[in-house]
Formats: sequence, C-alpha cells, structure tokens
Amino acid sequence: MVRVVARTLAEATRRVLGSRRRTGRGPAAAEPAQAGDAALAADLEAAIGADRVRSDAAARYLASRDASIYREGNAGPVCYPDSTADVVACVQVAARHGRAVSPRGAGTGLAGGAAPLGRPVVLSMTRMDKLLEIDVDNGVAWVQPGIVNLDLTRALAPHGVHYAPDPSSQAACTIGGNVANNSGGPHCLAYGVTSAHVLAVEVVLSDGSVVTLGDLSAEPVGYDLRGAFVGSEGMCGIATAVAVRLTPDPPAVRTMLLCFDDVSDAAATVSAIIADGIVPAAIEMMDQRCVRAVEDFAQAGYPEDAAAVLLVEVDGPAGGVSIASERIAGIARRYQAMSVRTAADEDERARLWKGRKSAFGAVANVMPDYYLHDTVVPRTRLVEVLESIYEIVDRYDLIVLNVFHAGDGNLHPILAYDSRVPGADERVHAAGREIITMSLDMGGALTGEHGIGVEKREHMSRMFSEVDLDQQARLRASFDPYCRMNPGKVLPSAHSCSDIAALRASDASGVWG
Amino acid sequence: MDLGLNDDELVACVSCGLCLPHCPTFVVTGRDTESPRGRIALMRAVQNEGAPVTDDLIRSMETCVQCRGCETACPSAVPFGHLMEGTRAALAAEGRITPRWQRLALKGLRHRWLLMAGSTLLALAIRLRLVPTRRLGLPARMALRRPRLRTSGTDVWLFTGCVMDAWQRDVHLAVQRVLEAAGAGVEPTGGAAPCCGALHIHAGLESETKAMARQVMAGLSGDGRPILVDAAGCGAALKDYGHLLGTDEARAFSARVYDVHEWLAGRLGELQSQHPVDPLDVTVAVQDPCHLRHVQRAHQAVPEVLQPFVASVVALDDDGLCCGAGGAYSVMEADLSRAIRERKTAAVARSGASVVASANPGCSLHLAAAGLDVRHPLELVDQALSASRV
Repeated sequence: MVRVVARTLAEATRRVLGSRRRTGRGPAAAEPAQAGDAALAADLEAAIGADRVRSDAAARYLASRDASIYREGNAGPVCYPDSTADVVACVQVAARHGRAVSPRGAGTGLAGGAAPLGRPVVLSMTRMDKLLEIDVDNGVAWVQPGIVNLDLTRALAPHGVHYAPDPSSQAACTIGGNVANNSGGPHCLAYGVTSAHVLAVEVVLSDGSVVTLGDLSAEPVGYDLRGAFVGSEGMCGIATAVAVRLTPDPPAVRTMLLCFDDVSDAAATVSAIIADGIVPAAIEMMDQRCVRAVEDFAQAGYPEDAAAVLLVEVDGPAGGVSIASERIAGIARRYQAMSVRTAADEDERARLWKGRKSAFGAVANVMPDYYLHDTVVPRTRLVEVLESIYEIVDRYDLIVLNVFHAGDGNLHPILAYDSRVPGADERVHAAGREIITMSLDMGGALTGEHGIGVEKREHMSRMFSEVDLDQQARLRASFDPYCRMNPGKVLPSAHSCSDIAALRASDASGVWG
Repeated sequence: MDLGLNDDELVACVSCGLCLPHCPTFVVTGRDTESPRGRIALMRAVQNEGAPVTDDLIRSMETCVQCRGCETACPSAVPFGHLMEGTRAALAAEGRITPRWQRLALKGLRHRWLLMAGSTLLALAIRLRLVPTRRLGLPARMALRRPRLRTSGTDVWLFTGCVMDAWQRDVHLAVQRVLEAAGAGVEPTGGAAPCCGALHIHAGLESETKAMARQVMAGLSGDGRPILVDAAGCGAALKDYGHLLGTDEARAFSARVYDVHEWLAGRLGELQSQHPVDPLDVTVAVQDPCHLRHVQRAHQAVPEVLQPFVASVVALDDDGLCCGAGGAYSVMEADLSRAIRERKTAAVARSGASVVASANPGCSLHLAAAGLDVRHPLELVDQALSASRV
C-alpha cells in the first residue's frame, strides 16, 4: 500500500517536473534545477513567509554541502523555519509535492549526512536556536535544535552546570546535528555520548505529525523510541525541541599534557591508565604532524619535537583529582614520557583544548584537502592499528595526521592531500578503504561519532549482515514509511529501495556551477 | 568570470565551519550564503568551476562586513580579507558592485577642503534638523568649528585621516595631549596624508586605493618616524600597504605604523610616573574594533593603557564579534548592520558598564547612534590626566 502511494507520488512529481522544466524561461531556464521548484517554492513561501525561503542557485549550492569532501549533494529550496509549526508546514508542503526533506544544522558534519540527495527541500535549522527552558533542580533543559553546542554550555555556566558531550566542532555545531549523529567528543570517555544526555525529543514525522519521544521521568515506560531516534541521521524525522541532561560542573579539573618521543609509548600509556582503574574525563592523542599543524594557531605550547602527545583531563572532587593525576604522571614516566606538564590555569587549559579541537580545521596548514574516517578499535590494539595506518599511508604516498579519542579507541586518521593533483582522490579513497578494512579486522567498528551519512554508506555491509540491514531499514520505515526524511543516507543502496524511488523522483542533474 | 584570486589562498579553506560563530552576518541570519565558509565556496565556484555571477552571489559578497573575525577563528589561517578584497575588486571593475554615487562620495574623501567644507555644511544641516540623523546613523550633533591642529615636535606622526579629522577632531587633540604627556613631540599628518583608502579597498576600488597609498607614503616619507594611528580601521589599512603595493618601500612604511595604544602600552611607566592620577570614577566596557582585534591583533593594548586611568575596565563577553559598523557598511546595509549592533548593545548591557571605549570612529558613531555613551579610550585617559593637573 505504502509503496503504491510512494510510486504514485513519484510518478506525479516526475510529470509535473518534466512539464515545468520544458516551459521554464528567464533566469530559471539557465538553471534547469530551479525551474521545477517554482511551484514548490511558492507554496513554501506561502506557508512560512517569502523572506524565509531561498531557491536561488547560490543558496542551494551552499546547502548542498557539509564539511566533508562529498560534493554530489543537490538541494531544492532552502527554508529557514522559526518554529515547530514552520517545520510542520514545510514538511507538509514537501509531501504535497512528493518531495523529500533534509534537515541541516551548521553543516559541520564529516560524512555527508546533511548533503541533500535528490533535490529535497532543505530545512536549515539555524534560526531555531533558543534555549527554551532550564530546570536546574531536575537537571534538564529544553532547547531548540539549532542552538550551538558551546552556546548552550555557556548559557548554562551561571547555573553551575553544563552539557557534557563536546565534539571538536562544538563552537559551531548544533544540538540537532549532535542528536542526528549521536555525537561524541573528548569528554564522552567519562560522561557518555549524546544518547546518554538526551532525555526526550520533540519530532516532526514525515506526515507532518508532531510526537514527543522519551520523557523526563527517571524510568520511562514502553519502548525507548528516543534511543532509536538519537543517531538516526535525520531519517526518522526532524527534531524541533530537545530535552538535554544537565551535568554539574566538576569541583576540580586538572588537564595534563604528556609528551612522548615514540607513538607506541603514548598508546601504551593510554591502556595502562585505564588498566590502573582510573577513568579520566578525557584522553586525547595527537601525533607530531597534527601537533605541528595546530600549534601555530593555538599557541598552546605543544612541543613540536614530540612524536606524540596525550592530553589527559581528570575531574571530580579535588582530593581524587590530585591522586589520579599523580598516578597518571607516574604511569607516563614509566612509559618514557619526555615531559609531563599540568595546565597552570584556566587560560592554559583553554589553549590546550583549543589546539586539540581545531585539529581538523588546521589541516590546510599542511594540505588543502582531507579525507577522514572515524573507526573505533579496541584500545588494547592501538599500537598495532597505528603502525598499520602509517604503513598504509606510506604505501599510497599520502600524509596522515593522527588525532583521536585515545581513551575509547576512536581513531581520526586525517588523510591530507591536494585534490588538484591528478590521481590524489583515488589514492586517498583506496587508503581509506584499507584503513576501514584493517580496523574492522582488528575487531573495530565503522564509525565512532561522525555518522555514516553517504560517505560510509557502502561500507555498512562489511559490518552488518543482510538481515541486520533489513531490520534497520524496517525500523526506519516504521518512523517514515514514505522515505521522505533525509533519504539516501546510512543504509547501503540495496536496503533502501523506497529511498531510491524518492531519489529518482526528482532530477539529480543540472546543479548551478 | 576570473576573480583573479590566488588559488593557494582560495583552496586553503577546508570548510570546517569554525568561522561560523565569529561571523556577524551568519550569526544574525543563520544563512550559509552570509558566512565566510559559504562566501569562499562561492568564490571557488566562480573562479574554478565557472559558475555564473548571479545577483544572489553578489549579495552574498556585499553583505560581508569585512570585519575579518573569521580570520582569527580560522585554524588554517585562510586570508579571508584578501580574498574578499580581491573578489570585490573584480566585481567593482565590472561595475557589478559599488554604485556610482558611492564611488563619487569616496572620491571626495581625498579632497580635504571639500570634505571639511561638506562636513561643516552637514553639521549646519543637522543643527537645523534638515537631516534624519537617526535613520542615517549620523551623530545627533556635530561641531561647526574644528580647533586647529598644531605641531608640538617631530618624534612621531599622528595620522589624522579624513572623516575622523572632519567629524572627531576633538579625539585627535585628546590623543595628542596624551602622547605629549608621555613625552612625545607630535606632528599631526593633516593634509600631508589625506586619506588611508580603507573605505575604498572595502568597496573594491583597488587602483584608486593604490594611488592613495602612494600619496600617503609620499607625504610621510623622508624620515623613519613612527606613524601613530588612533583609528583602528586606518591603522589596519596603513599596515597593509606592504601587501597592497607589494614593494619594499611599502613594507618598510607599514612597519612604521602603530596603533596609538600599542605604542603607548610600551611607555605606560613613563606616563604614570610623571603624572600621578586619580582614576575617573567610571566602569568602562572596552569594545574591540575588528580591525584592531582581528586585523592588527593589537587590541590587548587598549585595556592595558586604560586600566590605570579609570575605576574599572570590563571586557565584553561576545568574543569580539563585530558591532556592524564596517565603515560605509552601516549606510549600505543598514538593516543587517543594526541587527548585528543589537547583539553588541546587549553585550554592553550585560557588562554593567556606563561608558563604552571604542578605538575606531566608525564603531563609535555606530554605537553612539544606538544611544550608548561612547568615547575614544584616550579621551578618557586625557580626561583623567587633565583632571589631576587641576
């Protein structure tokens, strides 16, 4: 039944688009992709206001991309909703036109998750950036999805609480994007990833209905639909309000920089710290190339002669913090640390973190493009994995900057290259595939926190069986039977048949520029 | 269309998005077309992919305040200011931006007598309530007469510029008194260096700017005297002559240029030891002009110089986000400019300060038009010094 409806809608759209494209004229004729959108854009404008819909080439071009190197996205009209009601209206208009909807936060994603496929209506959530309600006593705040992660934490600061997940892009990325990707961050080692900090989500489903998944009680009853929604990469619906857990600020924090002249010593130190029973708030590792790329910008005093550095943070009651940091210093020295430095004040601590969190952005100091995976490997095999990465990269004559959440084995080998050099793209992708295969062979997982998006879609079958993937497709279909929400992501093409129909329904060619 | 941009500079953006929260137009609009990352992607689309220069693309470039807050936020040090100046130069050369009336007005800034006479007329018109000052962002009252500039020695030049000299000569005089109190003989540049060209390069008038740069350099050549600037925008422009003209002579000239606070910060000891002062009883919020903070990166000198002379100096909590003035931007893009200013006035309100110190005339006019009590930092220092002299 559903499929019949979808097919009918698809056929109708194709006809409408086809006829309109032929009769296009004026500026629209020069930009074929725009022509078929005129009626759709007009309806969207009528629904939420002309000043909040953009269907010009420049706006659509920019809404077609995120921070990854994926460039095949193709946005339809771009809407800037202000409220849940606006989102509902946009979803309904899109449905009437048989078009899909792709939500977008700050576009800092690294896997093409926000790249719109099949010219959907793009909902840019940046204007829904309000902190709706703070309940410090119960440790919860309702926020709109477009609020920037760091802005939320800053707004909470006077209350002595913060929002714990802190992706490296936290200065720019939005909570909505964090929910979509179940994002992590350095401090997720001790505090857990986004799903542990989202209590409930208000969601607009593909038929325009609004539901609240999860609730604020300590022991929610029924299936954990909130859990299914967090990390669904926009394919189950659009979050329009999020209840986030507030984490009390720790009474004491100590941030240490451990420097090593051998990468394996650094990796071994990580395992030894955890084996010692200490759970630091964060353990981050950067190799030499990465340190050199960030130090110019951050001026944090990272030693550029160290082969690897560990940034370790411990927090909690002052007594515990000081004992733990002494033990960590002892372990580091046992593994031949060149130096052990403790941040003297908040300013030094901030600069150390600034360096770590600007690693991706600093790559252009080395090369103008980068390709990134974020596989997770067992911590005990870090040394082996790193050696393999360096070996693979050497073989493909590439440059790698390693920066990662060492505490939970979440790698981020940044393959830096210049896409203007012929053949570079192919080499980078081939090396990426080998890194994934190697990580999975070592007992790892495909992605830690960046999501699957389109970038890693085809690698899903290396990790999941056909049965697994079919079940995932069915879960998705139970939220969005029409496959209209951010279609074409996560599931390999063979497992999202109705997505394919949705994508084919609209013209994928004729992008401006 | 070839924008003539340096390809290595253009590809240096990896699209990470860390610039977004530091871009005033992205922050108020939430639109990628109004963000540094988006603007660079559009420049690339035009230059490398042959995309047509549409009106919407031009809007994206025109709405940039050129505050360069994105540059200090960029881990890869993308030289956004140069890319934007290059793009505007290419667009202006084709007549796609900077309308004729604006070009004419900018031309006038080079002609000192015209500017002074025009300003007097404007001051008169304002007195007679013939000009809607609020709507145009003009000062509610302007002096009809300007006190004379005088030379007190030849230790340093004080760059007086164009509009600031016509509209805010009081500030120059206060700055000069402070410099003299620090033991320096001051020569105001006056007609020797009529205009730095900052507004012209922002409008994409590259060849005109170069001609003005040569004129300024010729007027202040002949000795290695430091050139002190009390307007952040002019200081940034003068410091960029080396890049603009690409000659050794221009680079040597730029190396002589200092923001006046930068220069005073190194002589604070002398100033304080010779002139014990009672600090003014005010709490001052320091507004960092973008061209001091993000371009010259010399903003830390302002609170340092101000601190001993006022009861309390507070920093704003907005990460140095632009106030929206942007030279002619507040006139050309009035709506956006005001939306941006609202965030700044809110930050000032949060700070609890009664006075705002701004080291740039554009910012101070723009903020004063929103009803804030705005002074040049050295006006406050001068006030404290003269109060203790009595």
